[in-house]
Amino acid sequence: MPRPQRYPKRKRNMLLDANVTEVRYTDVDLLRKFISDRGKIRARRVTGLTPRQQREVAAAIKNAREMALLPYPGKPGRL
Amino acid sequence: MSRHYEVMLILDPTLDERTVPTTLENYLNVIRDSGGSVEQVDVWGRRRLSYEIAKHSEGIYAVLDLNATPEAVKEMDRQLSLQEIVLRTKVLRRDTKRSVAKV
Repeated sequence: MPRPQRYPKRKRNMLLDANVTEVRYTDVDLLRKFISDRGKIRARRVTGLTPRQQREVAAAIKNAREMALLPYPGKPGRL
Repeated sequence: MSRHYEVMLILDPTLDERTVPTTLENYLNVIRDSGGSVEQVDVWGRRRLSYEIAKHSEGIYAVLDLNATPEAVKEMDRQLSLQEIVLRTKVLRRDTKRSVAKV
């Protein structure tokens, strides 16, 4: 009996969705999509970004944290 | 050699927002005197901080766009951070060559 064929769900690239050309740490609304409600940076598994994009998003989030634009990871509710 | 810098400041929220540009002028003169130029001064205004800085829960954000030598920017940053009205500063060089998000 043939095994049922599985179609893995195509990951979608969250940056492509957002249609941006440059990731800036000042762009808080965009970066917020890449952190969880605890303030953690979302894994590439979730974001669907290329390695390079993921690095840039991560760096931008860290810069934004230093300027209190985004929270550091911790208990939710401080967002 | 002159480079393009972006400087972000968080200022004490008890300040009057309208006085911010004039307050910053003194420090911008450090850049001008060294032959650099100030391209843009963008005062975002009062914003809620994601966490408290020096007991303040809000701050006045300002972003400066500069063309200046590393030494001049360093000196301005030093003078700014000595001020108590300046809660935090961040100096970044904006890299234009790697434009990135596209796949």
